[in-house]
Amino acid sequence: VISLHANFRSLDPLPIHGPEFGSAMDEAETIEVEPESKQQVLENKEVVVQHVHVDGVKRTKDDILAYEIADVFRAKNLIEVMKKSHEARERLLRMGIFRHVDVLIDTAHGEEALPHGLDVIFEVKEMRRLTGSYNTMVGNNEGSMVLGLKLPNLFGRAEKVTFQFSYGTKETSYGLSFFKPQIGNFDRNFSMNFYKVTGQFPWSSIRETDRGVSAEYNIPFWSTQHTLKWEGVWRDLGCLSRTASFAVREESGHSLKSSISHAMAIDSRNSAILPKRGALLKINQELAGYTGGDVSFLKEDFELQLNKELLWDTVLSASLWGGLLIPIGDKGSSIADRFYLGGPTTVRGFSMYSIGPQSEGDYLGGEAYWAGGLHMYTPLPFRPGQGGFGDLFRTHFFLNAGNLCNLNYGEGPRAHLQKLAECIRWSYGAGIVLRLGNIARLELNYCIPMGVQSGDRYVPSFTSAFLLFGGFWSPVA
Amino acid sequence: MASPMELFIWRGDWGLPSVHTDSLTALAYARFAGAPLKVHKLSNPWRSPSGTLPALKTEQGLCLQPLQMLEYFKKQGYNADYRLSVKESADTLAFISLINEKLLPALIYTFWVDAKNYVSLTRPWFANTIPFPLSLYLPNRLHERHLEQLQLRLGSQALNSEEETEAQILDEASECLTLLSQRLASQSFFFGDSPSSLDAVVFGHLAPLLKAKLPNSKLQQHLQLLDNLCGFCNTVLSLYFPTEHTDTVSDTRRSAAPCETDEDPHKRRNQVLSVLVGLVAMLGYAFLSGILSIKRVSARGALPAANRLTEEGDEEE
Amino acid sequence: MSIAHDVLFSQMAAAEPWPENAMLYQPLKGEQILLSDNASCLAVQAFLRICNLSVQVVHRANAEYMSPSGKPPFIHVGNHVVSELGPIVQFAKAKGHSLSEGLDEVQKAEMKAYMELVNNMLLTAELYIQWCDDSTSSKITRSRYGSPYPWPLNHILAYQKQWEIRRKMKAIGWAGKNLEQVYEDVDQCCQALSQRLGNQSYFFNRQPTELDALVFGHLFTILTTQLTNDALSEKVKNYENLVKFCRRVEQNYFEELDHESRLSPTSRSLRDTPPK
Repeated sequence: VISLHANFRSLDPLPIHGPEFGSAMDEAETIEVEPESKQQVLENKEVVVQHVHVDGVKRTKDDILAYEIADVFRAKNLIEVMKKSHEARERLLRMGIFRHVDVLIDTAHGEEALPHGLDVIFEVKEMRRLTGSYNTMVGNNEGSMVLGLKLPNLFGRAEKVTFQFSYGTKETSYGLSFFKPQIGNFDRNFSMNFYKVTGQFPWSSIRETDRGVSAEYNIPFWSTQHTLKWEGVWRDLGCLSRTASFAVREESGHSLKSSISHAMAIDSRNSAILPKRGALLKINQELAGYTGGDVSFLKEDFELQLNKELLWDTVLSASLWGGLLIPIGDKGSSIADRFYLGGPTTVRGFSMYSIGPQSEGDYLGGEAYWAGGLHMYTPLPFRPGQGGFGDLFRTHFFLNAGNLCNLNYGEGPRAHLQKLAECIRWSYGAGIVLRLGNIARLELNYCIPMGVQSGDRYVPSFTSAFLLFGGFWSPVA
Repeated sequence: MASPMELFIWRGDWGLPSVHTDSLTALAYARFAGAPLKVHKLSNPWRSPSGTLPALKTEQGLCLQPLQMLEYFKKQGYNADYRLSVKESADTLAFISLINEKLLPALIYTFWVDAKNYVSLTRPWFANTIPFPLSLYLPNRLHERHLEQLQLRLGSQALNSEEETEAQILDEASECLTLLSQRLASQSFFFGDSPSSLDAVVFGHLAPLLKAKLPNSKLQQHLQLLDNLCGFCNTVLSLYFPTEHTDTVSDTRRSAAPCETDEDPHKRRNQVLSVLVGLVAMLGYAFLSGILSIKRVSARGALPAANRLTEEGDEEE
Repeated sequence: MSIAHDVLFSQMAAAEPWPENAMLYQPLKGEQILLSDNASCLAVQAFLRICNLSVQVVHRANAEYMSPSGKPPFIHVGNHVVSELGPIVQFAKAKGHSLSEGLDEVQKAEMKAYMELVNNMLLTAELYIQWCDDSTSSKITRSRYGSPYPWPLNHILAYQKQWEIRRKMKAIGWAGKNLEQVYEDVDQCCQALSQRLGNQSYFFNRQPTELDALVFGHLFTILTTQLTNDALSEKVKNYENLVKFCRRVEQNYFEELDHESRLSPTSRSLRDTPPK
């Protein structure tokens, strides 16, 4: 049986994360330096950048442009001018306020023109003041209509307001976000979100409606990206059906979570989907309950991924995830906060989030988990298609393992480790991966689940296909 | 009586003086009690002084709830319940509550929620009955109102699973019908030989269910099995509404002959007004949809723009 | 889960006897529970006690949301979750416990009708007074309803509920009534109940039925709950036989078992409030 899973466990607000430069940037990494000899000639020729023009600017303020193109003046030779202009162009594009940017390099004109002087001209076209989109989506017995509105460059300094509204046959969701980057340092930015999202999670027989406010500050620090966030969410949980287990029924009702969290990421990979080299480390910590609300916990989780290129474009990729949720106070953790494990993003061969504690077939999640994966990707046997269609395909061999359980915090760390090492679920297999643009991948696997515990659900057929979205890679709810 | 009371009700069909439960209840009680009435059988609720049907226009103002109308009739000296003992009055109250809680939701469900019935009976009937431009708007409005009413009666969680809800509503209503049948037993009316307010309420609820040609008729079939209830409805029809199927204006029981009329002194004015309202609504709709289409064009233009951005990014190298 | 599941119940439940660990879930009794919910919960408790079915009462702030019908109380027996009195009566019947077996057809019809009278008039009046009377809702209802939740959720949920109830009142034609008319309805309802009861011990002679449980739940709660004024309880106190009836049920079914769990939310007994 071939099944398609769109993976939306995460109840993140609609995809309204600040800038959308992911797609434009990955390809840029592939520019390789030109042949050595030619470069030598150009490098020797000294030039001075005399003027930089930006043509086509209507609403954008000068100060923000000046920061982005300032580097071009520092170029000392032709190759540097090209390189810096290219970088400046990338920086202008990623602000998301221009539809396109063309670069022209010309000899200097005018009275003060020097013999080795150059003018760099950026021809830009600004985005419309208001852009909109309209989609209809049909999913498993639910249809919805998604309306999106975006005001890029609201005040002329790359501020952005986005609004998404999805009206479904069963649920309505919306999100409103305001994004403001610091002038001259686009990676340092502030954003604010208001949202309502509804989700149905059949593996837990639960439906959840979240209404929330969040404020987020992103700061780059050396090569790491830090995010500080405050979030206040009103959560409404309910049973999906009358047959839901009593354990899930007991979780029904309203709660208010107010939390501060810090996330750190280092990403040196060359691409988010099927990277060839580089590493990723993400650490996330969340402290809830000290800023109001009736939910108190400390939550830590991390993700580590290492990629190494071997012979013949074969890539070895190792990943490790882990997380811990410590409830504070005498109230236990909520089903909405716990971790879930299993499925095509973590331990292949098991059904979506169907590992660990459960009650009458409803998975309740766990307070601690770890998962690891070892993958070998090879372009064979698609090598003949190199440079074209064949580049989209990889064959992979994998070994996944993980465990999810609840810890008794009265016991020491030794007991915890022992518990996490007991009853490990693992699986191995091989399959074909199809890369879909820069956001998703499709897998067709032959997979053998091992270490299945009673209560776990695994995919009965050995063949399965999954659609994964890069943005939802994390196994954490 | 200085001026007779005026009752505004939905017009009849299917051999009934009115197709509408509340209208029927009020009318039936008035007949039982012999209250002199000027009855307006309307096909447009906007012609009622309150904008809704039924409505009772009295010297003291308007009455909109059927039970309030019954109270008013009683105060005016038209009391069909004067023979009842205190215990029978208590029973009346109890059985009216039973009907209100258990039968009414099922009637709303049968006529307004059940897709088959709604599409092939209720909606066409109202769409054909209500005069033109309003017929585009009012049936939907009525539909929404009934859905909302049912949802609120059942509580917030009740419509989670439609099948279960349907089964529950219909089962409870069937039980209610059986209980009424048991209470009626072999009497001609609920409290002996003459009708009272409970009979008016039961008649108002059962007659439409019995006479409507429902394509999906689970509840109707159950009612048809209860001979004494069917007989009761037919007795009331033949005794108190003998001329209904011919729609003629006459009454055999009362000296103060009521004037049943569909005519309205302001008919022409209302027709002109309704046409105007319709025109404005249509123009408004055209205007709104025009705006919408303009927006959608610009939205379509915006999407390829985002793609172009990435494409051109590649070309530059 | 109602009569629709009658057959299902009788098949699945009849085989198992009433278990020891049956639970009754209702809102927190001290600071949260509202008059109307307390009446419904007490009615179910009374029914189970009259049936002599043991049940452990559990107080949960989210009882309303746990209940499959969205209304407290509900029982958790074996694998079954059944909410509200009507379905619980059906469920108990499937297990072989019934209070109305001895009645003839007409009596059963009357019993059901009077139960709906209580639901249709008393319960609705209680909801009206709680949520639609401005002084009661602002002084008592909203703060109690929101009490288990942190700011600002307590206000949001209370106003949300109030809005829902007011819409319901509009849908059933009660929105136009004023407080006096509602008290009149209560009086009318009590009068009907009082007439029906007459000077019998219970509504149908010597043995209490589910109607007695329901009437007791509502009247006892009204008599023992302190609202902004006494207008509501005065209406009930006007009918001496009803007050005596409440006292009788309390004595026969609650006092001897009192060590297990206290009955009224305010821990008041009718002994403290002698009838006029």
